[in-house]
Amino acid sequence: MDVLWAALREALALLGRGDPETYEIIGLSLRVSLTATAIAFALGLPLGMMLAFGAFPGRRLGLAAVNTGMGLPPVVVGLFVTVMLWRSGPLGPLELLYSPTAMVVAQSVIALPLVAGISAAALQQIDPDFRVQMRALGAGRARALWTVAVEARLPLLAAVMAGFGAVVSEVGAAMMVGGNITGQTRVLTTAAVLETSKGEFAIAIALGLILLAIAFAVIVVLTLAQQRGRP
Amino acid sequence: MSAPAPLLELRAVTVRAQERTILAVPRLAIDGVATTAVLGANGAGKSTLLRVAGALIAPDEGMVLLDGEPATQRALRAATAAVLQRPLLRRAGVRANVETGLRFRGVARAESRRRGEEWLERLGIAQLAQRPAHTLSGGEAQRVSLARAFAVEPRLLLLDEPFAALDAPTRGDLLADLRDTLAETATAALLVTHDRHEAAALADWIAVLHAGELRQQGRVEDVWDQPADEACARILGFENVLAPALATRLLGERCGATALRASDCSPAPAGSIAPGDDDLVAPATFRKLVPLGASSRVVAEIDGHRLLATADAPPPAWLADAEPGQGIVVRVPRARLRAVGVDRDARASEAGSGRVPASPTDRDPRCTR
Repeated sequence: MDVLWAALREALALLGRGDPETYEIIGLSLRVSLTATAIAFALGLPLGMMLAFGAFPGRRLGLAAVNTGMGLPPVVVGLFVTVMLWRSGPLGPLELLYSPTAMVVAQSVIALPLVAGISAAALQQIDPDFRVQMRALGAGRARALWTVAVEARLPLLAAVMAGFGAVVSEVGAAMMVGGNITGQTRVLTTAAVLETSKGEFAIAIALGLILLAIAFAVIVVLTLAQQRGRP
Repeated sequence: MSAPAPLLELRAVTVRAQERTILAVPRLAIDGVATTAVLGANGAGKSTLLRVAGALIAPDEGMVLLDGEPATQRALRAATAAVLQRPLLRRAGVRANVETGLRFRGVARAESRRRGEEWLERLGIAQLAQRPAHTLSGGEAQRVSLARAFAVEPRLLLLDEPFAALDAPTRGDLLADLRDTLAETATAALLVTHDRHEAAALADWIAVLHAGELRQQGRVEDVWDQPADEACARILGFENVLAPALATRLLGERCGATALRASDCSPAPAGSIAPGDDDLVAPATFRKLVPLGASSRVVAEIDGHRLLATADAPPPAWLADAEPGQGIVVRVPRARLRAVGVDRDARASEAGSGRVPASPTDRDPRCTR
């Protein structure tokens, strides 16, 4: 218990003394994870729509692939992204490895199946006749789809939360493609791993608590948006 | 001068699903101010027909004409608005729901608000404007759905069994209000329903659809009592269809299949009525009595074929005490008998339906009555 109390005091002290390195780590964690979630949603929602409503061969197989992807190990994603971005890899010339951009790419890949899979399920929950009814009132194809998405906004926000939750907490891919470089690619999870390996448990736990607090704050904002207008 | 083109016309329309024809309409014309009801059993292709009319699905063959010209999808969708069986409101307030179609059609916010309020008022739901849609009762929600469709001022309102899920009093009120509103606004409507009373209450024209095929159409008063064939007879509420052989025997003259409504068949104790010129009196076997509230249904048999008749509620004492197997007579005014053709699918679905089988040689619907 003493270690936990010490960690809590350390966490408050870290935040209280305005340590620039800590704030930099928090800022980068948020920036990378939120950007990756936004990209995953921007790609995952249309993908989910296609899998939910599309009429093409292999739709069910696609849905099964996406659902399998929900359990994609971050380490495997990290490995593939690393290979792709490696100096001699296909995207090597872009020189993105060990940069926040590489971390965003890896985390987007991790979140994409989660967002797409949950989105597809969310959209399929809406009565199929709802889209027909919107079309029958004059909505074009795209407008009708958008209206269905707005109708499914509660579970779609759950998809966003699941995506964010997955990426803000993962460490494997961030470590592999980011490299945990001080001042450049160190985020809360990788910093906590480093401190643990150094035996600095109090600091590691403090970073963990800060990570939890940030995740909680983001999810609270999304939940409030989701539950707006409900008692 | 030639007659004006109908508002909407389906010409040689066929829709197929998985190699099976689910709709075949040689021609269906919808007049500019009238209400046309398409009557059919569940699975007859009614909703498919409505969706073709609203350009929500494209037919595999044939065309849809608007004002006599082949219609584009965009033109058809602009001319129509639909009310489906379930209200399918957005998760939003009532006011926003009523404005939905207007916003889809690019009507400015202020004008949408004005027209939305007007239609909330006209359908008697102005007091619901601020309510979230999910708190409405079934009847209220369907009124909102109607207001939403009327608000876009369509030339043709498409109604897909809009009353099917409502309780009887709510349905009655809404039916009356809808009829008045259609008349006041001179809006044409295409109603698809399985309920012939609903069709008769709203429509000027009836088309009967059976197994995807348009079997009969005409003015309500012409179709209501003159079914073209056995399938039409069933849909139009003729519970009994006598096979030609049985009809010929009972009537003593050569007959085709003959339809009669249970409400025109009166049971009486055996030997209590003498056959007359105006009435057919057929000996039958009593099977059971089913109370229906306002009347009683009598299930009887003639030569092993089921015949439904109607008695008062409560039934007379002799009927209440009747034992299954007891001999009775059933009286039918000859004027209420209708000669009908025999469907090619009549024999296929004969089992269990109490339907009278017909032999291929009995197809001729001629009757000397």
